Amino acid sequence: MVKVPGTTILIGRTEVTWDLYDAFALSRPDTVERRAGVDAVARPTRPYGAPDYGWGHAGFPVISVAYSAAESFCAWLSARTGKRYRLPTESEWERVASLAGAGKAAGELAWHAGNAGGRTHAVGGKSPDALGLHDLFGNAAEWVTAGSGRPAVRGGSFRDTARAVGPSAKAVQDDSWNERDPQIPQSRWWMSDAPFVGFRIVREP
Amino acid sequence: MTDDDTLSAFSRRTFVKTGTLAAAGLVLPRALTAMSRGTSAEAIRVGLIGCGGRGTGAARDCLKAGGEDVVLVSMGDLFPDRLERARTNLAKVASEDAMVAKQFKVTPEMSFSGFDAYQKVLATDIDLVILATPPGFRPGHLAAAIAAGKHVFMEKPIAVDAAGVRSVIASAAAAKAKSLAIVAGTQRRHDPAYVAVMRRIHDGAIGELTGGQVYWNQGGLWNAARQAEWSDSEWQIRNWLYFTWLSGDHIVEQHIHNIDVANWAMGAHPVRAVGVGGRQWRTEGAYGHIFDHFAIDFEYPNGAHVMSMCRQIDGTANHVAERIVGTRGTTDPSSEITGQKAFKFVVQGQKKNPYVEEHVDLLASIRTGKPLNEGQQVAESTLSAIMGREAAYTGQAIVWDELLNATQDLTPPNKGFGTLTVPPVPMPGKTKVARTFND
Repeated sequence: MVKVPGTTILIGRTEVTWDLYDAFALSRPDTVERRAGVDAVARPTRPYGAPDYGWGHAGFPVISVAYSAAESFCAWLSARTGKRYRLPTESEWERVASLAGAGKAAGELAWHAGNAGGRTHAVGGKSPDALGLHDLFGNAAEWVTAGSGRPAVRGGSFRDTARAVGPSAKAVQDDSWNERDPQIPQSRWWMSDAPFVGFRIVREP
Repeated sequence: MTDDDTLSAFSRRTFVKTGTLAAAGLVLPRALTAMSRGTSAEAIRVGLIGCGGRGTGAARDCLKAGGEDVVLVSMGDLFPDRLERARTNLAKVASEDAMVAKQFKVTPEMSFSGFDAYQKVLATDIDLVILATPPGFRPGHLAAAIAAGKHVFMEKPIAVDAAGVRSVIASAAAAKAKSLAIVAGTQRRHDPAYVAVMRRIHDGAIGELTGGQVYWNQGGLWNAARQAEWSDSEWQIRNWLYFTWLSGDHIVEQHIHNIDVANWAMGAHPVRAVGVGGRQWRTEGAYGHIFDHFAIDFEYPNGAHVMSMCRQIDGTANHVAERIVGTRGTTDPSSEITGQKAFKFVVQGQKKNPYVEEHVDLLASIRTGKPLNEGQQVAESTLSAIMGREAAYTGQAIVWDELLNATQDLTPPNKGFGTLTVPPVPMPGKTKVARTFND
């Protein structure tokens, strides 16, 4: 992890990958979690289909995840490690992004609509940015907690043009992100139509 | 003479359903009748049988497709808790959506549970019924719905054995004779992207079809931990995915979507299947007796072979897709053609949701008096998937006509809640196509 400039908070070098997320999603709450005081952190429901779209799993960023699922992952990781992990606040993400993008072209740093071939790629495939982070822009857009407490995704994704990915890219969830979930209630873990959404984590000191 | 008097010789149900008036040119445009007679009197009235997540979602999709001309009036489920949960969830949707608030008219008196709930829903004043229980119940429910004169939306698959498929084929013919609509939840058939690619395939865009591959590879699905108060049969029905008599196994329950696409492209059902499969990872008793992987070679009448593969095993590569190959090109039928006549589907305007579109098409067909009838088609796709399952279960080459006419009926010997054994895990070389629940 890399220190967020001007703070003691650490931010992940890459987006969270399926390898790590599976360790959460496919496991069952155990005594370690109970001992940590987390009362059996809930696990994602089993998706009816392939939320990774078959684009790649090991080493690829988690996608199609709801904000609350990303938060639950952080709670699980905190319980397992005894450290305090969470999603970045929007201001933390913006602070990092404003410094990270300096001096390099989008094509060097980011998977975007012009070079990604319509899918995500393994994390770390592009050059590190000025802070040493990978894929902050493009690849999977990243969940953050905005000042209002409402979630947003930042950075743009493989679906956005080279011009549209970057520090100012922002999207807010709407009904279209879950439109084809054919169940009622719709999943609070998976988003049927948002393969462009993932996340990275921060660790508090 | 009032408008009502004009139509008094025909019950509203007949008016909505038969299409006879439409053929005679007597049907007023919907908007006109709605204006003159009032929306509620003209709305298509819908009942829901099977109130799980998908059934509830299908009801929502139907309401979304229908606008204020459609109302949901009755619901039924085997389990009171599932019924109540569905009512609560739809009431929540209604509280957030003004249109749904107008459409959701299910009172406690019109909500039914128990093994006869489907009969009670069919006895209510409805035009259209959504059948969304576990697939093993579908043939009986469909037959009852057609006998009761209802249009039908039914989830896939529509049967789990040869006897069930024959029943559905008979019901589809009966529906045709009565001008009743049947639309199935093979929603790719209503997806504009698939429709656009298929039209081109059938117009010869990739030449003669020579083969293809279809896949549904993913991780495991949900499982409901057994509760002390559940009988054997209640436990099995609440975990219906894992029992062939209820789900057909995952090749039938899930992979049917992709096999249906192959049939659609080929314009035919397979004539022969050989395959392998097994139960390698999901072996605990909680997962019933079904397999967790299959690989099937389907042969079509034109000699083309389609390779089918499906898997539900955690930690393995996911892939849900179809690929159809011709002499002059290749397609991903979900979106594009490569080859001499390359094509890529581009969304025009608002992207359409196939889960809603299937209801749009169904309702339009009812309103125009030209009822869609997908019964035979989905029966064939279901039997195709069963054919693959049987090839793996038995280890034999399965021929279409023999399977269609096989004495295979997986219905449990005893009805209702109570003691029910778990059928044996199929064993290639020993399991026979002609079998009953306990074989």
